[in-house]
Amino acid sequence: MNDLTTMDEPVGVNQTMRDEIRRVSNATRARRILISRSMTILCGLALAIAAVPLFLLIYQLIRRGAPELTGTFFTQVPQTPTLIAPNATGGLSNAIIGSIALNIYASILAIPVGVLVGIYLAESASKFASALRIIAQTMAGAPSILMGLFAFSFLLQDLKVGFSAIAGSFALAILMLPVIVISTEIAVLNVPNTLREAGLALGAKPHKVSMRIVLPSALTGIVTGCILAISRAIGETAPVLLVIGGGYLNTWQPLNPVSALPLSIYENAKSEWPSQRAQVWGAALVLVGFVFILSLTARIWASRKQKVSN
Amino acid sequence: MIEESISDLAIRGEVEEEFGSSSTSRTWYHYVLLGACVLFAAASVGFVGSILQKSLYTWEHHAGTIITGSGWQSPTGPFGGLSMIVGTLETSLIALIIAVVIGLGTSIAIVFFLPRRLRNIVATLVELLAAVPSIVYGLWGYLVLAPWFLTTLDPWLNSWPGHNFLFGDPGQQAGPSLLLAAIVLGVMILPTFVAISREVISVVPQDLFEASLSLGATKWQVIRKVVLPTSRIGLFGATFLALARATGETVAVALIAGGVAKVQFHLLDPGTSIASWIATEFGEAQGNEVSALMALGVLLMLLSFALSLVSRWLVSRQRKVLARV
Amino acid sequence: MTEIKTSQPTVLARDPGVTAMQLQDVAVSFNGRVAVRDATFDVAKNRVTSLIGPSGSGKTTLLRALNRLHDLTPGAKVSGQILLEGTDIYRGNLTVTELRTRVGMVFQRPNPFPTMSIYDNVVSGLRFNGIKKKALLDEAAETSLRSAALWDSVESRLKVAASNLSGGEQQRLCIARALAMDPEILLMDEPTSALDPIATLKIEELMTTLKERVTIIIVTHNMQQAARISDDCAFLLMGEDRAGELIEFDTTEKIFNNPNDSRTLDYTLGRFG
Repeated sequence: MNDLTTMDEPVGVNQTMRDEIRRVSNATRARRILISRSMTILCGLALAIAAVPLFLLIYQLIRRGAPELTGTFFTQVPQTPTLIAPNATGGLSNAIIGSIALNIYASILAIPVGVLVGIYLAESASKFASALRIIAQTMAGAPSILMGLFAFSFLLQDLKVGFSAIAGSFALAILMLPVIVISTEIAVLNVPNTLREAGLALGAKPHKVSMRIVLPSALTGIVTGCILAISRAIGETAPVLLVIGGGYLNTWQPLNPVSALPLSIYENAKSEWPSQRAQVWGAALVLVGFVFILSLTARIWASRKQKVSN
Repeated sequence: MIEESISDLAIRGEVEEEFGSSSTSRTWYHYVLLGACVLFAAASVGFVGSILQKSLYTWEHHAGTIITGSGWQSPTGPFGGLSMIVGTLETSLIALIIAVVIGLGTSIAIVFFLPRRLRNIVATLVELLAAVPSIVYGLWGYLVLAPWFLTTLDPWLNSWPGHNFLFGDPGQQAGPSLLLAAIVLGVMILPTFVAISREVISVVPQDLFEASLSLGATKWQVIRKVVLPTSRIGLFGATFLALARATGETVAVALIAGGVAKVQFHLLDPGTSIASWIATEFGEAQGNEVSALMALGVLLMLLSFALSLVSRWLVSRQRKVLARV
Repeated sequence: MTEIKTSQPTVLARDPGVTAMQLQDVAVSFNGRVAVRDATFDVAKNRVTSLIGPSGSGKTTLLRALNRLHDLTPGAKVSGQILLEGTDIYRGNLTVTELRTRVGMVFQRPNPFPTMSIYDNVVSGLRFNGIKKKALLDEAAETSLRSAALWDSVESRLKVAASNLSGGEQQRLCIARALAMDPEILLMDEPTSALDPIATLKIEELMTTLKERVTIIIVTHNMQQAARISDDCAFLLMGEDRAGELIEFDTTEKIFNNPNDSRTLDYTLGRFG
C-alpha cells in the first residue's frame, strides 16, 4: 500500500508558499465574513422593500374593495350619482356579465385552436413547426394594446362589425392563443417517451398513440395552461378597451356592445364622484380574487399531477 | 419560455420519425392539427399585416414626423411620436432599474437566506403577485400612491439640489408624472422578475455551492463568484422579459403618467408612453389620426419583437451553459 | 463471535502529535431523527482512513460533519466532539470558513465550476481566501496540479474551460482545487463512484502518494477499494433504530483479515451489501 516507487516526482511543497497562503487567508477572513453578513442584510432589506408596496396594495385592495361587494354590486347596473344622491352608484352587474361573456367566447375561440397547435408543435420537427413556435413565443410577449388595434382594424374597420363582444373576444383570443400553444407543447413534451414507445411497440398507429395515450397524460398540463391563459385574459383592459363599447346594460350577446370589469375600473377611476371611485375598488377586488383563485387552482392541479407521476 | 429543455429536442426528433414516416397514411388527425396551425398562422400574419396596412398612410406621408415630431395635434396633425417614444424609454428603463436592483436582492434573499419552509410560500406569493392585472396597479397608483406622492415624496424630491433640472418646476406638478408611472411600473414588473430570477438561481446545482463553501468561501462569495455567473444568462433573460412587460404596459401608465404629448425630461411632470397614448387617444380619433396611432402601434410592435428576439437568443445560450454543467 | 461494542477510545490510541482528527461520541440527527451515532475514533496523520459500510449506514453523513457541511441544513444537529489538532471544530475558537481551509472536500460527482477555466478552478479556493498575488497563485496551481497528477496533461491549456476535461480529469481537477488550499485533511465522498475503471485506478494510485501531503478520510461503498488503498478502516452499519452506528474501527488489515465483530466479518465477506 505504500509503494513510493510509483511517484514520478517529489510532491514537495514550498514551506514559504504554505505560510503565505495561511497568512493572507487569515488576515482577510474577518473582512470577508463581515461583507457576507452585510450583503445578507442588504438582500433582506431588498426583500422587505419589495414586499412593502405589494402588501400595501393588497391591503388597500381589501380594505377599500370589500365594503363595496354588496348584493347591489353584483345585481344592479350602474347609475350615475346625482347631487341629491351622490352615493347612488348602482352596481356593476353589466361589467360582470360582460366579462364572463367575453371570456367564454374568447376561450371557445382560443382553446381548441391553441391546444391543437401545441400538440402539433410537440410532435413535429418540421420547419413549419419551428416557425410557428417562434411566432407563438414572439406573440406571447406582445403588448396587449396591439391585440385591440388588430381587432379594431380587422373587425371594426374591415368587417364593419360594430363595437361588440365578439370583437373583444377576438382580441382576447389572440392574446390567449400563444400562451395556450406554448404551455400545451410543454405539457405534451413532458409526457415520458416510454409511454409513446410502449404504445408504438404494441403496433398502434402513431396518431392513435397520440390521442389515446399521450394526450390523456398531458391533459393536466394542458388544462393548467388554459386556466392560466384565462386568468390573464380576465384582467386585461387594453385589448377590449378599443372595441367593446362599454355601456350600462347587462348585455352579453356577441354582436352587442358589452362592458367588462377592467374597463369599468379604467373608466371610473377618474370619476368626479368619490362613490364611483370607491366602487371600482370592489371591481378590482373581484378581479384579483378571480385571478388568485384561478392561479392557485392551476398550481394545485399541477402539483397534484407531479405527485401522481412520481 | 425558459422551461424548454434539451430533452424536448431529443424527444421531438424521435417522434418526428414516426410522424414523418406516416405521411402515406395522413388521417383526419393530421388534417385537423394542420388546419388549426393554418388558422393560427393566418391570425398571426393578419395581426401584423392588419396594423401595418392601416398605418401605411402615415408611413407614406409622415414617416419622419411620426418618429421625430414632438407634438400631437388632434385631429388634424401633425402627429409626432417622439414624446411617446421618449416617455416609453424613460418609464421603462427607470422601472427596469428599480425592478432589477431590488428584485435581484429579493431573489437572492429568497433562495439563500430564507428558511426552507418560508421559501415555498414566498415563491407562490410572488407568482400570484405577478398575475395581478395591471389595471389594479394603475388604480392603486392613481388613487393611493399619487396623493401620497403629492404630499410626501414630491416636496422631498423638490428639496434636492438641482431639482429643477431633474424634476421640473414644483409649481407645475400636479400628481400624475413620469416618475410615478415609472415607480408603479417597477412595482408591477418586480414580481415577474423575481419569479424568473428565483427560478434561475435556484437550479444552480447544490454540490457547486457545497464545493465552494468547502474551499473556505463565505456565503456571499459563493453567490457572487459562482451562483450569479452560472445563472448570468437566465438573469439577462429575466431582465428582458421584465423590460418587455414594462414597455407594453398600457392602462396603468394611462392612468398615472398624465397623458401629455411632450418630450419630457422632468420626471415629476406629466408625460406619456406609446401604449398609453394609443389607448387614450383612440376613442375619438378619426381618419389620419387613426393611421398615426396605428403607426405608433407598429413602432411598439417592432420594439416588442426586438426584445423577444434577444430573449430567445438568450434562452438558447442558457441551454448550452446548462448542458455543460 | 461475540459482539464487542467499540465505544471506548480506540485500540489504536495515539499521541496527539500523530492524530489529525479525533472523534468522540459523534452523532448527527436531522429534526430529531438520528442518522448516525457512536462515532468514536482517531484519524491518524498521513494515512488513509476509510469509512465503509452498506448504504444507509451514515458514512456520508458522518463525513460531512467533519467540515461542518451540515450547518447548511436546518434542523441538523451534530453532537459529540470533533477535535482538529485539539480544537473542537463546533464549539472551539475556530470559524467555519477557517475550518474549511484546513479540511478540504472532494465530492462524488466531479464538480468544477462551469464558468471558469482550469486555472481559475484550481486557484478558486485561494482567490476566495483573498490571495491575489499572481506569483503565489501560479506556484500553488502548479504544485497542486502536479500533486493531482494532472499538470502534464493541462499545462499547455490552463485557460481552457474546465468542462472540456474528461470525467476522471475533472475529478483530479477538483482534487487539485482542494489541495491548493494546503489543507491538513482531505475528505473524499465516494470520489470514484461516478468514474470509469481506468480513471478510478488513476485516482487510487494518486491517493497513495497524496497521503504524504495530507491526511485522507474517504467514504467508499466499494469494499475492495477500501482494502486496496486505506490504512485504517471504520465500519458503520445501520442499526435497528435505522440510525447508523460505528461497529468497529481498526487497521485495514485487521478489519479485512480478522475483525473483532461478526457483522464486520459478514460485510467484508460480502454476505450483505
